[in-house]
Amino acid sequence: MLEVNGLAVAYGAIEAVKEVSFTVAEGQIVCLIGANGAGKSTTLKTVSGLLRPRRGEILLWGRPIHRLPAHAVLAAGIAHCPEGRRLFTDMSVEENLLLGAHLRKDRDIAADMARVYELFPVLGQRRTQRAGLFSGGEQQMLAIGRAMMARPKLIMFDEPTMGLSPIMIQQIMQTIAVLRSQGATVLMVEQNALAALTLADQGYVIDLGRTTLSGPGDQLLADPRVHEAYLG
Amino acid sequence: MLVGALLPWASTVLPGGAYPDRATLQFFDAPHLVSGFRLHLVLLGVLAALLSRARKPAGIGVAVIALVHMGFLIGLGAPSIGGPVALAGGLLLMWPGLTAPAPELKPPGPAVARLVLLVAFAALVWLVSETLTAGGQSRATNPYGGAEFLAFCGLVLALACALSAYGVLAWLAALTDRHRFFAFSVMLVCALALPFTDAGTGYWMTVASTIGVYAATAIGLNIVVGLAGLLDLGYVAFLGIGAFTAANLAHVVPFPVAALAGTATAGILGIVVGAPTLRVRGDYLAIVTLAFGEIFFRAAQNNIGGLTGGANSIPGIPPISMFGHAFDKPLGVLPAGSLYYAVTVVMVAVAMVMLVNLRHSRTGRAWAAIREDEDVARAMGVRTGRAKILAFLVGSMMAGLAGAVFAHKLGTVGYESFDFSESVTLLAAVVLGGMGTVPGAVVGASLLFVLPEKLREFSDYRLMLFGLALILIMRFRPRGLVSS
Repeated sequence: MLEVNGLAVAYGAIEAVKEVSFTVAEGQIVCLIGANGAGKSTTLKTVSGLLRPRRGEILLWGRPIHRLPAHAVLAAGIAHCPEGRRLFTDMSVEENLLLGAHLRKDRDIAADMARVYELFPVLGQRRTQRAGLFSGGEQQMLAIGRAMMARPKLIMFDEPTMGLSPIMIQQIMQTIAVLRSQGATVLMVEQNALAALTLADQGYVIDLGRTTLSGPGDQLLADPRVHEAYLG
Repeated sequence: MLVGALLPWASTVLPGGAYPDRATLQFFDAPHLVSGFRLHLVLLGVLAALLSRARKPAGIGVAVIALVHMGFLIGLGAPSIGGPVALAGGLLLMWPGLTAPAPELKPPGPAVARLVLLVAFAALVWLVSETLTAGGQSRATNPYGGAEFLAFCGLVLALACALSAYGVLAWLAALTDRHRFFAFSVMLVCALALPFTDAGTGYWMTVASTIGVYAATAIGLNIVVGLAGLLDLGYVAFLGIGAFTAANLAHVVPFPVAALAGTATAGILGIVVGAPTLRVRGDYLAIVTLAFGEIFFRAAQNNIGGLTGGANSIPGIPPISMFGHAFDKPLGVLPAGSLYYAVTVVMVAVAMVMLVNLRHSRTGRAWAAIREDEDVARAMGVRTGRAKILAFLVGSMMAGLAGAVFAHKLGTVGYESFDFSESVTLLAAVVLGGMGTVPGAVVGASLLFVLPEKLREFSDYRLMLFGLALILIMRFRPRGLVSS
């Protein structure tokens, strides 16, 4: 479905991503793990069209998307749930969700909103409240709901469990599994390698801007190199 | 508490002696019924004694009035004991502040709600008229005008606080929101009725229509700054572009065409300014717009292209004339200037409708997203560049239209009306009134353009008082007078 080949992205003179390649098959959960500054978030931002690659290509169903502006990438079916939630904190839950559906003009927006409320009842109960008043976990739920509102084929999560309690991490991971069971494809970046790889069908290790290892999630979990570097 | 309530009253009685020898509060025996100090103080004292929640607001009002009074008497070299007594009373009332939250009032049925709104807006117009006329128009007619005006402001402040303490203001706001269309119509009719009140003189109509022009401009700026979050420090240039365009065309085409031309020219230049600013944000955007404002100001000053008249300004712009009637002449019982006032009221009303609709539209949501987090807005599929240019376009067109009315109303347009300080005042109006709210810009503009007019007699202290007022507002209403 998604294919990234030899991606390189630079901020000015600093090349944050040097040589990243991976593929995401439809219906899979794919996880990129790596240390701080390895270039994981930069990779996701480039896929979603917020940054331009210096080299390499990004293909969605064989069609290059790395020159498209962000709204066109979203329209093509890739939603981005950014690092640190990044909600519109002065807006209500409902307004946040509506912004997630900003590009859509169809009539099913209300139905999709109901679906989000079904998945996260707490959001439905507090739909008119300001998003900034929510706890970290609730904010993450809203961020996920917001990304769902675009009806993406592929959802990208950037560190969805950052700063959350163990119970909340479990719940978020379960939600991601539910999304996949409903037909979504997931590309995820995580520092919590254990939680992420347990769930992932396929994992990639990114180190200093390069993909160094790859394999099915459980296989990577068992790999001594991964174990030493990220699971300690 | 009772003592506190009695003190304001006592202060009016205590001094005794032959009036007005013992110059005290009695010194200002109410020449204009509601503007008399004594009446205010007694009113607030009674209010505080009868209604527990109104105690603190009344205290604030008493303290303000007492301070104004004391300051004024000291200025006259005749300090008295009435002032300090009243001040003590006010402070006493404020002291043990009641912290209970305002009660929530149930919304009434539609018929009652409409009646309430009718009364509320009528009262508002009366209040506006009284505020405008409080203290008379100049020192010549009433030597205590400024002090009276400030005291009246104290009373209004106290009443507003008291109403808010009882949850009435929030209740009214909810009613307005529910019966939006009705409320808006009533408001429009009430605003148009202002010439029939005490403020219906040529002088006040001129002041009110000037405020109207700035209010419409401020609403335009509110779209750019309040909704889209783009800090524009050169905004008054668009008012100038509209004004100069209309001034140049005034002898050639009728007003509607000149107004359209002014609007369009300002809009085009809005895009011209907007486009290169797409890559800069926050402080940098402010600098770029500041520079644009300055370019316009200097160009107008030097009469570049012969379009602005330079230092001579463009004189002799004919007044708006329709149906064979020039708008600067009285019409029937209406004083001169009423027609301009009506034009500005309609203009402000249109601007308000536009702001409301934009705010709740898809575009409005996109602007709000850009304001809060531009990167994420992009990730949500918002075309940020287009949305920003649209904000500049709509905002500058609003200012251009206001500028065209401005030119015809004044009859003369010169570059001095569009310097940096005007941009700052407009921005202050938006921020003070409440960013992104609909009545906010109007309230802010009224305040910022009425206050200097009213404080004229304090000439030396005018700017200081003005600044003090702004600081106080920002201290106690950090999100603006009308916050969402």
